Amino acid sequence: MSEAPVDPSTIISHSHSSTSDYSESLFLRTLPNNALLASFQFRTNGTIDSSHMSLFPQSLNQVLKASHTKELHLKFTLGRWKAREYGPEPWEGRTAGGTGVELWAWVDAEDDAQAEQRWKTLTNALSGLFCASLNFIDSTRTIRPILTFHPTGTHDPTSNLHLLHGSLPREPVCTENLTPFLKLLPCKGKVGVSSLLDGHKLFDAAWQAMSIDVRPLCDSDGTNCKLQMEQTVDMVIDVERSLLKQNGPIPKPKERHQLVCDGSKEYLTTDDACLPLDNVKDQQFTLTDVFGRGIRGSCPLDEMENGEAREQVCLNVPEQRGVYLSEGYQEQKLSKSLRCYALKENQDFDLILTEQSPSIKLPSTEPLLYAERSFTGHGQERGGVQAVLRNPSLTSPVNFVYLESLPWFMKPYLHTLRANLDKPAPTNSSSSPILETHYRPFLDRKRGTQLEIALQVPANTTLTLTYEFDKAILRYTEYPPDANRGFDIAPAIIAILPPSSLSDGALGATQQPTYLRTTSLLLPLPTPDFSMPYNVIILTSTVMALAFGSILNLLIRRFVGADEVPGVGSGLKEKVRGKLRRLGLGGKKKEE
Amino acid sequence: MGALTQLLRRRKFPYRIVSVLSVFVGVYWFLQLPTNEHSRGTYMSENALMPGQVHTYFGGTESMIFRAYHHEVEALENATSTRRVEMLGKIMKDNGLEVGRQKYTYEASGEVYKGENVYSILQAPRGDATEAIVLCAGWRNAEGELNKAGVALTLSLGRYLKRWSLWSKDIIFLITEDSRAGPQAWVDAYHDMQSTSVEPLPVKSGVIQGAVAIDYPHKNFRAYHLMYDGINGQLPNLDLINSLIKIADNQMHVDVKLQEMWDHTDSYKDRLRTMARGMVNQALGHSSGAHSSFIPYHIDAITIQMTGENGWYNEVTIGRTLESICRSLNNLLEHFHQSFFFYLLMHPHRFVSIGTYLPSAMLIAINFTITAIGLWLESGQPKDKKEKDKNPKPEITESEKAALDTSVESSNKTTEIATPSNDEPLIVERQLLLPVTIVVAIHALGFLPLYLFNNLDKAALTPVFYAFTVFSSLLPPVISLALRPLAPTAQTFTLIKSFSLLLLGLFLSTLATINFSLSFVIGLLSVPFTFTRFLKAGIFERILFWGVIQVLSPMMALELVAKYWGLPVGDILMEAAFGWKVWGMWTQVVVFGVWWPAWIAAQVGVWSPLSGVQRD
Repeated sequence: MSEAPVDPSTIISHSHSSTSDYSESLFLRTLPNNALLASFQFRTNGTIDSSHMSLFPQSLNQVLKASHTKELHLKFTLGRWKAREYGPEPWEGRTAGGTGVELWAWVDAEDDAQAEQRWKTLTNALSGLFCASLNFIDSTRTIRPILTFHPTGTHDPTSNLHLLHGSLPREPVCTENLTPFLKLLPCKGKVGVSSLLDGHKLFDAAWQAMSIDVRPLCDSDGTNCKLQMEQTVDMVIDVERSLLKQNGPIPKPKERHQLVCDGSKEYLTTDDACLPLDNVKDQQFTLTDVFGRGIRGSCPLDEMENGEAREQVCLNVPEQRGVYLSEGYQEQKLSKSLRCYALKENQDFDLILTEQSPSIKLPSTEPLLYAERSFTGHGQERGGVQAVLRNPSLTSPVNFVYLESLPWFMKPYLHTLRANLDKPAPTNSSSSPILETHYRPFLDRKRGTQLEIALQVPANTTLTLTYEFDKAILRYTEYPPDANRGFDIAPAIIAILPPSSLSDGALGATQQPTYLRTTSLLLPLPTPDFSMPYNVIILTSTVMALAFGSILNLLIRRFVGADEVPGVGSGLKEKVRGKLRRLGLGGKKKEE
Repeated sequence: MGALTQLLRRRKFPYRIVSVLSVFVGVYWFLQLPTNEHSRGTYMSENALMPGQVHTYFGGTESMIFRAYHHEVEALENATSTRRVEMLGKIMKDNGLEVGRQKYTYEASGEVYKGENVYSILQAPRGDATEAIVLCAGWRNAEGELNKAGVALTLSLGRYLKRWSLWSKDIIFLITEDSRAGPQAWVDAYHDMQSTSVEPLPVKSGVIQGAVAIDYPHKNFRAYHLMYDGINGQLPNLDLINSLIKIADNQMHVDVKLQEMWDHTDSYKDRLRTMARGMVNQALGHSSGAHSSFIPYHIDAITIQMTGENGWYNEVTIGRTLESICRSLNNLLEHFHQSFFFYLLMHPHRFVSIGTYLPSAMLIAINFTITAIGLWLESGQPKDKKEKDKNPKPEITESEKAALDTSVESSNKTTEIATPSNDEPLIVERQLLLPVTIVVAIHALGFLPLYLFNNLDKAALTPVFYAFTVFSSLLPPVISLALRPLAPTAQTFTLIKSFSLLLLGLFLSTLATINFSLSFVIGLLSVPFTFTRFLKAGIFERILFWGVIQVLSPMMALELVAKYWGLPVGDILMEAAFGWKVWGMWTQVVVFGVWWPAWIAAQVGVWSPLSGVQRD
């Protein structure tokens, strides 16, 4: 039997030498239903004081310096990871953010106000650097989580670090964000695995996450510090759709000979009907098919210090699947289902995965937790949120932190917060699944709600977390200027604590939680018909003008016959005099 | 105001003329609606929809797949619901969609409605699960027919639409057990508002922006029949209807029929009939198809029904229509809001909006209010000064008896004030307690039938209905008889009528803004309540009034509805109880809480001599 699917973090971290200045890798894994997971990782090391040239991008370094940011995490995410189908997220969920853009950083500052100021500098600078609306992360969208995030780098214990977190769930991630991302790479997407990153293909992916993590790393004795930047791109490609696109952008119905029908049905011949079977097989594809091009050789900057070749591309497919390579490349099998390849300079690389019918899947693994969040109720006045969190494990409970960051116009009632288990908890555990709650209430137009709940779900149990909220009525200028489809609510962030931390309570520095995000939500608020006030103003103004004008005329005008007015129509002089008289000046003159 | 006050002071408020006038103008107004001058052509308000602007490609080999699914569906016709759901779910799953199931149980009139829904979600590539469109097909349609082609088409569209990468909203393919309870259970659970007997949904998507239900039992058809009535007479946004009609007309060249008007010549008569049929559906407030359950949740929904067996259109036409409408809905940037939510359609391309039609129902409702005010004024004035002078005493003693807790002192005082000035119109004190008690009691009594018909067993419904009809006919004479010991006066009956009409006018004018048709129909049937003259009437007149009111009773209306649908009364009552329990239908509240009490009050007036009231 084939072995369990591999997570990119397990192979890539050991194959990466931490001493080299730059390393890159690509990990591919087939997923059920003709999907393909592609995880790119690029790791750049620079010195903390970048006084001399290094591969670490200067542009980013300057921003970090100016804003006194010690550790930075920036995530661009689109689409959904189908956990039921694909299993746990790659990299234990550490690289992907919530839908849209998510940013969190540890900023060195003396107090909260200064941290706020530096955070503002950071968001504005990053906004320009990455062509994203990060500058819209203002105080209403900034939270300061306590339990969810922990620094991943080594920091000076004496420094006064502030964690700030902001998210923009509505931000459409697109090619304009990819270009600055690629620019940070030393090979700029021209050669190496990054040459596969083509905007058209990347943004047609079913799920896609780009992330940038910057952290200072030191040896255990606190010396030899360096600034490490890890860039990752993870995407799930629908292979079938990618293949279809080669025949044209329009997915017309297939030709007859392309259909794979179930021959066992008698109506196949009698009625010319076809029960399709094409989703039952794994389709044949090449890297060029799904990425638009092959890998253009290796990036020359990515080499081990001793000049040895390193496997940059790894493929996790069932053992039975046939794989063909470009000429001149060799496969190295790390395990039954894991094959790796070392890229060569100036030599294009492509591979062919052959058709597999019926399809063979890698045995599926369950994620630690399934999370779904949705709105309940309907109407313009109030609503509710329901998060369904299921622990699929049959044996072990799962401990996690659930973090909600809500905008101020969604006003939750904490007293309505309920956590219900679908089965009674085992007797030895605590009675309530809620272990700890951190809550920072909203302030109208100043800051949003921050709700952090530490929860425990026993094995094979579903926890339903619900709370109710009121919808605020916004001032009409507070509605965004675009078409009003509603307001996006940032995804909830779930940090699943590693099992060992259950016993000692404290989180080890090396043991990072596994992250998980729910989908974002769309909150419809009571919306005025914006064109209506305009109509009303126009109409009432017209009526007012007509009424006012005629009444004013009636009141202040004196109506006299044309012949009664002296000097009408006889020369300019008379006209002027007439005008003056009317103003009350001319009359006096005459009397004099 | 000056003129009005003067009129009132002179005690010559011609309320009867104003009432008659408002009824006539109201009816005339209504009859004018279908004319070209008063109705409007439909037009697209929301430009983002762009209906029919895209090329559609459904067809070719997709037809072969459709036929295969059709065979699969046929094979499942007699399968258990568990097996059916399993097979349909498997097809959806093979097509790469996320599948969910939901069981539900409802109970109404002692009947148990059980079923299981299956649905799948096409997750928009790159989408964020915030918005969704629903394509829905009941396993059985509203008539209970197997929706063979509809289910097969939903399955094949699930496969076909998945190949497009342009979706910005998720598409949910929903196959419900039936077209009545199933969609309601599903949409309730989607908003987490379900009753305990309905399972929650295992997978959800975002806000549903639109829903299209398919009622397509036979492969070939001649035309589309568009159904749009929601529960309690709520309607979907007109833009959705217009989009479909536009796609059908311009892109598919298929006729669209409304309200079962199979031959529509666009004449005045046909327009009026279409409108009237629409109003009957709206007034009844029941579910007309799988789409109806969505509308109360502010989800705009329609049902497309394929009509005409052995027509020349087939699955390719409807498949492309649905593809096109999904593309249009996908374009929506905002929730439907641009076009009308209150309208009456009289032709696929003509409608009247609320601003135009509302006055007709309002005028009819106002007629009751005006009469009520008129009667109130009248009750405060002695009919004839002479008569008043002749015997002021007995009236007072009578009223003392009637209003037991009105102190003697105050009534004496009133007469003192009233009698001295001979030039001023006399003001008679109104004895309010008795009439108010009676009107309130009759209205309270309305809860009895409401409770009975919503909770009784199926078998008991018909006998109880007839018993209730007899009870309703006997109640007014009984009330009149019971009043005899209290020695009611003419004023008592005038006030009963006044209060009852006041309430009727109040309720109907409010209702007109929510459910125009129901208000208009009840208003029209209640018009005779205004014009019954019972105090001066002779015996023949009385019999005439009694007959007219008896014929226009709520019970008779129910019989009429039963005739219209060709069903026994018991079935209609069952449907109503089902509507109350499952759909949250409010029609019976209006009938038994507003109309029935007004009817009883009118009959009490007719039977007033039994109470020994003195005739004028």
